[in-house]
Amino acid sequence: MENSAKMFWTGLSPDEAREALVNKDKSMKDKRMTLKEAVSRFIKDGDNVGIGGFVNIRQPVAITHEMVRHGFKNLTLSFQSAGMAPEILAGAMIAYPEKFNIKRIELAYWGHEAFGLSPAFRYLAERGMIEIEDWSNYNMSARFKAGAMGLPFIPTRGPLAGDVKNSNRTKIMDCPFTGRPIGLLPASNPNVALIHVQAADMYGNCIIRGTDATCAEIAMASAHTIVTCEQLVSHELLVTNPKDIMIPFAAVDAVIKVPFGAYPGACRRHYWFNGDHIRDFTSRIATMCKAGAPDALKAYYDEYIYGVEHFEDYIEKFTTKQLIADQAAESYNCERLA
Amino acid sequence: MTVSTDYTAQEIIVVAGAKVLEDKKIVFVGTGLPMVASLLAKRTHAPGLIPVFEAGAVGPPLDHGLPISVGDSKTFTGASYLKGLNAAFELTQRGFADFGFIGGAEVDMYGNLNSTMMGDFPAGYQKPKVRLPGSGGASDMAASCERTILIVPHDKKKFNEKLSYVTSPGHLDGSPNARFKAGMQGQGPYRLITTKGIFDFEEKTKRMRILHTFPGETVESIQEATGFELLIAPDVTQFAAPTVEEIRLIREVVDPNGVFVKRAAK
Repeated sequence: MENSAKMFWTGLSPDEAREALVNKDKSMKDKRMTLKEAVSRFIKDGDNVGIGGFVNIRQPVAITHEMVRHGFKNLTLSFQSAGMAPEILAGAMIAYPEKFNIKRIELAYWGHEAFGLSPAFRYLAERGMIEIEDWSNYNMSARFKAGAMGLPFIPTRGPLAGDVKNSNRTKIMDCPFTGRPIGLLPASNPNVALIHVQAADMYGNCIIRGTDATCAEIAMASAHTIVTCEQLVSHELLVTNPKDIMIPFAAVDAVIKVPFGAYPGACRRHYWFNGDHIRDFTSRIATMCKAGAPDALKAYYDEYIYGVEHFEDYIEKFTTKQLIADQAAESYNCERLA
Repeated sequence: MTVSTDYTAQEIIVVAGAKVLEDKKIVFVGTGLPMVASLLAKRTHAPGLIPVFEAGAVGPPLDHGLPISVGDSKTFTGASYLKGLNAAFELTQRGFADFGFIGGAEVDMYGNLNSTMMGDFPAGYQKPKVRLPGSGGASDMAASCERTILIVPHDKKKFNEKLSYVTSPGHLDGSPNARFKAGMQGQGPYRLITTKGIFDFEEKTKRMRILHTFPGETVESIQEATGFELLIAPDVTQFAAPTVEEIRLIREVVDPNGVFVKRAAK
């Protein structure tokens, strides 16, 4: 067996992940709480944090704002492709290193597609400030799936050649059935999952519209899950069609209604991207990268995150005209009767 | 057909990319110019093209315009199947994707692509000279789609004998059955589209070979801009300049806001 890297678990080992669920209260109870309460109860320094969504779609932006206000150290971030969620956490580490610290990232892609590269990733990586473990999108998705399936590893045909497998803990073995090489990926069982969804009930049952991304896998793999939702609806309405439920209540620990919780990213049926705000934010980090000038970046955190108590105060800083335009752009994408 | 006289380097990539796509095939589309080329193909010669996006959408009509992300809401509306990333990549692993369509920052003569880092791997991996976004789904598409179409803007600094990092495996070292021996599926790189021409990979050596030169380019000028020796097809032809209509479609219909196809400075 080709074994390029020494094996270790980040977050929970498969046995620890099992143990965490065995000891968890899985009753159907009211899990509504404030974002502040959820973040302080379920995230700890040193945790491996699984980030839901995909690039700038349904990113758990509101949760990351609260994490910055709380302050954390030595976090590991795990995701397939992400944009604003790691950017906000990393920007905090760049602007105020004494308040926020990321130790490690396990990822496939960190950037903003049409809105550009991630200046925070460049800043931290090119200065050697974080440990990096590169995977592919399917690798990370399959690792969360293995965690969700209660398996220690999953075989995939992911990139079996090239340097991605040499950057991580992939092991390549000869398949015992075909004799051909196959890649084995260790499961990812994060300590906590950060997930934003369209609708949830107070028990944590979740409905997701548009891409499922890997939200269900991350939630099911993690010891704890914090869910923010655009709409908090009655249990009876939510379970109208039980097959619509993407994440079941037993996997969820906290439910918080946060309209625009993925903004300035997009959320299917609710709002499309605010690209100008994403670019404004990343340009402030880029200025820090190029000129070492932190003022514009610090001003962003001071105004939008440290300067407000709740995510809704941040949303209030946008004009009604802007928010309506972003909702209208999304209504065009998925026309529906009122 | 009137020939366009003011098309840009990105616009000819889009036109060439669209023409390489075949109607009624399933193409797994990466972010950026591959999305623009796929939409142009769907609006011209390939209305039956079935795009698949890694966030999960299969076969959307794209009636609401160019997606700006492979997870954009515009890819979900009208899709014939929509789950998540695992389901999408399982499709390619199973063999449902005829083509994968991806870009990269750096390419070698065997069609291996780099989109991870510039610098010294593995010694400088934890502190690269330039950190790029990473594989995303590109290496999965390269590993498991039946054939791949690559887009890399032509530049001597980007066409290198040895890559800083191999993100998306192509024909590897060009040795016989290299992909199969590594455990991968699919035939690997099929076409490469650059700002200077269209290339294939010669059957025996798997080396990059000039097939068509873009207007204003010659075999010599292309070789001059490449950091390794190119093979030359026996019957190299010139790729026809885009028509006024094709350019109008790109500017007015496919990417009217210049999301991926930047407007030429006037």
